[in-house]
Amino acid sequence: MASRRATRPPPPAGRPRSASQPRFGTYIRKVREHLRKTDARFSLRQVAQRIFVQPAYLSQVERGNVAPPSEATTRRLAQDLREDPDVLLALAGKISEDLQEVIRRRPKLLAELLRSLRTAPTHAILRVVREVRDGKW
Amino acid sequence: MVTLEGDHLVFRFPDVHEEAGLAVTFQRTLRIPDDDRQYPLPPGLGAFPLRHIDDYRSRLPKAWVERGGVLMPMHQAEAMWISFRGDYPMAVTVATGKVNAITGSPLTRGLHRRPQDYLVTPDQPWLDGFCVEKGVIRQFVAMPLGDGYSVEEQLSRTAEHGGLQLIVRPLKAAAYRRLRRKQGDISRRSADDGIWLCQMDMGLAPGGRMRQEVYEDPFESADWAPKHMSRCFITIVNTALWSPMTGETPPSVPPTASDYTKAGLPWFEYYNPGAVALPGSDKLAKVKSVKAMSESKGVSALPENQSVDVQRKTKILALRPRRVREGRR
Repeated sequence: MASRRATRPPPPAGRPRSASQPRFGTYIRKVREHLRKTDARFSLRQVAQRIFVQPAYLSQVERGNVAPPSEATTRRLAQDLREDPDVLLALAGKISEDLQEVIRRRPKLLAELLRSLRTAPTHAILRVVREVRDGKW
Repeated sequence: MVTLEGDHLVFRFPDVHEEAGLAVTFQRTLRIPDDDRQYPLPPGLGAFPLRHIDDYRSRLPKAWVERGGVLMPMHQAEAMWISFRGDYPMAVTVATGKVNAITGSPLTRGLHRRPQDYLVTPDQPWLDGFCVEKGVIRQFVAMPLGDGYSVEEQLSRTAEHGGLQLIVRPLKAAAYRRLRRKQGDISRRSADDGIWLCQMDMGLAPGGRMRQEVYEDPFESADWAPKHMSRCFITIVNTALWSPMTGETPPSVPPTASDYTKAGLPWFEYYNPGAVALPGSDKLAKVKSVKAMSESKGVSALPENQSVDVQRKTKILALRPRRVREGRR
């Protein structure tokens, strides 16, 4: 689907929260229904088709009757619904493969880092994210 | 502070307001024909990759490392547009080769209103090129620095900087709160580096004409936070050197405007009925487009430049408050 719209950037400020199965379904249904109000392509059937799952399965996911889908399907769903994939994966109670790999490389150090950031405010966490260095120009 | 998150350059001002953030991407796109017809907005084909310049410092010229910022690969004669996302109002100065893309004047740090030399997000969601007339821009097209095509070389008579520069300033928190209430929501390089740099350093040159308005600042001068400013230098690298430099495969060549249109895919038109368009820059109106410059040199710098008849256009309406959505096709 050709679109002028740029791929969705990460939100400037911090975003959610803990993950749970019904929450994932409720959230994606809310987002999909919101998009469907202005665009019929966001019907359950059409979204399911685009992310390569059966409509009945997507319906079950939205109702929280089955576990959230695989990482690959969740990523396709995030792209289709213009959502952040990391946020949807977190709501699904999953950690993406690339993040798992990051943790596996330095498990002790990263576990300590994450625990120490647990209650830190957003601006403090942002200081840990690597800044783009400005130089002379 | 400026951070690189994936291929998004994110400007944040947590000291001003927790919501003061702006995500910028550089979008791959079709190069519109440089034939003096006016075209609608071309699509976005995904973001260009961005990399910290410090990660490759041992392989880069010293001058590049000194200016910091990020690296971005572009093919010669490839086009690009800039996407701005974020609800908090920001004043953004855009320059190429340190020449302001809205006025054609040398880049300065301050904000000037007469003529206005910056754009204001989120009312301005995109910028596709140099503001040459009211409601008309000439598309950003990458060309090798040193060949005389770039706006920098045509207006400053130097091939010193190249690349793209962004300076971002947030609205003061008090002005933002007021807005929310109103909305009811709340000289040349060293000889040693010379040949090496000429081969890979790119500048932005003016391509084909496109209908796009750059909007007048709807705020008061005093509404902008004078002490808060973040900036970033985006060095544009020829894709031919991207792999040896970063070890990564560069993006593929985008489709031509002709192929895209023949496939029946849409172009776009953006409407923001409440906004006032700035007049274009006389200086920028006088610069030669890539096609005109190449003709004066007796060379052909633009492959695949045939005119296209755009049949399918999607209207995009600015929504209040501060969102854009695509209309029905």
